[in-house]
Amino acid sequence: MNIVVCIKRVPQTADAQVRVDSSGKDIEKERLTFDLNESDAYALEQAVLFKEQSGGTITAVSVGHPDTEDTLRMVLAKGADTAIRIKAEDFDELDGYKTAQILKTVIEKAEFDMIFTGCMATDDGYYQVGVNLAQLLGIPHATLVSSIEIGDGAARIKRELEGGLLEHDEISLPALFSVQTGINVPRYASLIAIRKAAKKEIAAVGQDDIDKDALVLNTQIEELFVPPVTKRAEIFSGTPEEVSGKLADMLNEKGLI
Amino acid sequence: MNKKKNIADQINPEIRDALLEMGADGIYRCYQCGKCAGTCPWFPVGTYDFPIFRLPLEAALGMIASSEDKDELAAEIDKIYRCVGCEACVDQCPHGINIPSIFRAGRRLLVDFGSYPEILKSTVRKIHDVGNPVGEPREKRSDWARDLNVPVFEPGMEFLYFSCCISSYDPRVKSVARAVAGILQKAGISFGILQSEESCCGEAIRRIGSETVYEEVAKANTSAFERNSVAKVLVNSPHCYTSFKNDYPELGVKFDVLHISEHLSDLIESGAIKPDKEFAKKVVYHDPCALGRQNDIYEAPRNVLRSIPGLELLEVENFNHGLSVCCGAGSGGLWMEWDKDERIAGVRVTQLIDTGADVIAVACPYCLQMLEETAKSMGHDIPVMDIAEILAESCL
Amino acid sequence: MAEILALVEHRQGSLRDVTFELMSCGRKLAENLDTRLTAVLLGHNTGEFADDLKTQAHRILVLDDERFKDFNSESYQQALSQVIKSENPVITLIGHTAFGMSLCPALGAQLDIPSSTDCLDIEMNDGGLKVIRQMYEGKLDARVRFRESPSYLVTIRTGCFPAEDGNLQAEIVSSDLKAAEPQHLKFIEYLEAAVGDVDITKADVVVGVGRGIKEKENMAMVEEFAGMIGGVVACTRPIVDAEWLPKDRQVGSSGKTVKPKLYIALGISGAFQHTAGMKGSDTIIAVNKDPDAPIFGEADYGIVDDLFKVLPALRDKITELKQ
Repeated sequence: MNIVVCIKRVPQTADAQVRVDSSGKDIEKERLTFDLNESDAYALEQAVLFKEQSGGTITAVSVGHPDTEDTLRMVLAKGADTAIRIKAEDFDELDGYKTAQILKTVIEKAEFDMIFTGCMATDDGYYQVGVNLAQLLGIPHATLVSSIEIGDGAARIKRELEGGLLEHDEISLPALFSVQTGINVPRYASLIAIRKAAKKEIAAVGQDDIDKDALVLNTQIEELFVPPVTKRAEIFSGTPEEVSGKLADMLNEKGLI
Repeated sequence: MNKKKNIADQINPEIRDALLEMGADGIYRCYQCGKCAGTCPWFPVGTYDFPIFRLPLEAALGMIASSEDKDELAAEIDKIYRCVGCEACVDQCPHGINIPSIFRAGRRLLVDFGSYPEILKSTVRKIHDVGNPVGEPREKRSDWARDLNVPVFEPGMEFLYFSCCISSYDPRVKSVARAVAGILQKAGISFGILQSEESCCGEAIRRIGSETVYEEVAKANTSAFERNSVAKVLVNSPHCYTSFKNDYPELGVKFDVLHISEHLSDLIESGAIKPDKEFAKKVVYHDPCALGRQNDIYEAPRNVLRSIPGLELLEVENFNHGLSVCCGAGSGGLWMEWDKDERIAGVRVTQLIDTGADVIAVACPYCLQMLEETAKSMGHDIPVMDIAEILAESCL
Repeated sequence: MAEILALVEHRQGSLRDVTFELMSCGRKLAENLDTRLTAVLLGHNTGEFADDLKTQAHRILVLDDERFKDFNSESYQQALSQVIKSENPVITLIGHTAFGMSLCPALGAQLDIPSSTDCLDIEMNDGGLKVIRQMYEGKLDARVRFRESPSYLVTIRTGCFPAEDGNLQAEIVSSDLKAAEPQHLKFIEYLEAAVGDVDITKADVVVGVGRGIKEKENMAMVEEFAGMIGGVVACTRPIVDAEWLPKDRQVGSSGKTVKPKLYIALGISGAFQHTAGMKGSDTIIAVNKDPDAPIFGEADYGIVDDLFKVLPALRDKITELKQ
């Protein structure tokens, strides 16, 4: 099984203060930590599990700026065999579709049975690149995948639907799977793997290899802003004892406890 | 360690060299006598097997965190993050091997590749993002002092009071910083705080293995000290103390650092502070590793407690001073998710309570948080207090 | 002006709520653009669906085929692409659901129509199409401009356009487009996640926990608290990913939807993926350290503090009250 994994380096914003920068179209990045996108870590692990099961190679691909090499190196240490950075700095503004077009030009040259992506990136939240890419490559896809069993020329997958329901499908290979978090438990990298990864070449692909003019940009961010407050909770203030007292009284009055 | 394979196949000189480069100390001097494991705070926990006496040899053979099996590797990395850096083993080792330095070397290699526990990643991230492990905004760093009229540090003031992230932000531990400021004000000491210019000292994350973020915050602090012509820093956390005293000099900065217990002890001796209210309780003192064993400050905090009228000072028999048992919060332990029955602090809390004390006294915000929470979770309602809090009750 | 299309979503014989939300959105757009809204209904024996939608759109275009009974992204894509080609809509609206996420980006790439997913709001004027989307885990909103195009594809986040009664009289049109046999993707069945001993959808009081709970062992404290107030413990996705609670306790877009009398959110930041499943609760209380956490935009009452300080205090107060 030869597998391609698409990954993205993203700012870790869940616990961070996120501020709009002076352009109004991007965020201040200096004080943020960047790391592998959450669901991409699961996509990588799924690839490594299949490689352990049935051999083959894993190629990690990312459209990113130079520091994406650090993330690709981590991905190499956790089980990818080769890594390709597509130089984001060569392609001006990007959106999900343009990213997919760029990925397509690189991945179509590779031999693969499966492509794994995370189901979404936590920075722009598009849920789009994987499906765009599958369509551009002319292969079937499945999104929100929470389980995969590989059979002969086809895979049995479960997708997560709303309400905790699962959809059980069969999909022919080659195919693209955009995976949900929780599909597996991502692994650590061993020191041996880390030392090997530190020495590996990361291939770089840029505008010399991809026809920039053929790429289409569908969407552009016009403005970033703090979401308007439509409804706001009534905040109880005071010490934990005081706020608990107020809250308990309120619940009691409403007959909720 | 993968036992299924021939050991000779697993020897990896490259990893040995990388560990040496990252500061693993004394790996060739070990003859596996086991004294380290006997004194390690994990030993009495009993439910977790932590044979650290094997570590120097494993490091010499380059056989650390090297399993190819996912689950075995996870267990190995969990092991590397069990060391709480108390350095009890360092004191005991007949060859003076620094076992925590070997763990730290391994951690540095792992952290560079994001191959370490998620919970610690989030701690490192918060320190990078907002300069404290709590994840609270910088602007709130001096909220603890809001109603106390604590001045902003200005050149010419005698001390910068550096209040540690935990005592600056934690709703419970804040009262330690408040007690310190109150006592200093009463004694007429010239001091100020740096408010949001202060960052975490970086001691814990350096021991977690994040050299990059440690350097980031250490440089932010030293340049803030230089900008404000700080010559003397007063700290209430032994972790800030050991970081400023033993790590920051590598950065080529010069300032004096004093732990609050030393200064309070001096102020009491000189008569600048007069503890006059009775604190009629039996108080057992717990030596924080970073203050006692690592920096030889044993008597100053005891002097503070002894000066308080009515206070009866108790010791944990056999396990005091250099033989104090760690609370388990060092080197990232404060944030780790170990099972309840696998907690070092449980051992220490039992020892402390068995003395018959009414109050547990500490001189460290990490110990305070760890021992208090653990005592509570074990169903004990014994108060855990910082020496500054006890002194404040007696002299303010 | 060309029409607005909106895709009807149904599953296991029922129309999904998102369908009516799309119709609300579509009617608004149609009114602004002075055009008509067409509901596109792919299904089998769909008479009842068409009846239910009659007041919601100007026209209902029905593609009836046994292969459309259950969603299949391949056959739906194949049919919908033909509908779009023949109808030339200015905008095609699809729900940002497990179906829409598979369908919309594929159609966009196939037809070279600009598409945007997970939109909260949508405006169309002379300047072209603009949408509002969330970024950075709900911390910021973005106004996104599309390139000029005669046709656009948009998926709409659930809950952004409340379902409303329509006052239209839809013309029902049967399309003679037939489904092609899917070549690559075969729907097998729907599977219910295993149901444990607790059914969170039936409880009057639900205590939800998120990442803020920090450690698995803190779950015991929450369980105890929930038990005390006669509630059950539910959670966000990361708690299920960490295997601290089973899947059937997950509230949110990929979990259960709960509408209890009281929902207490502990250490939950309020990502859309979670709030989608609990915002219909009668009373919502949130405890979170971060005053900027989006959960306070959903809650009725909030406490900005450490849940580990608040919960024990709250437990004590409630015990007092009960005595």
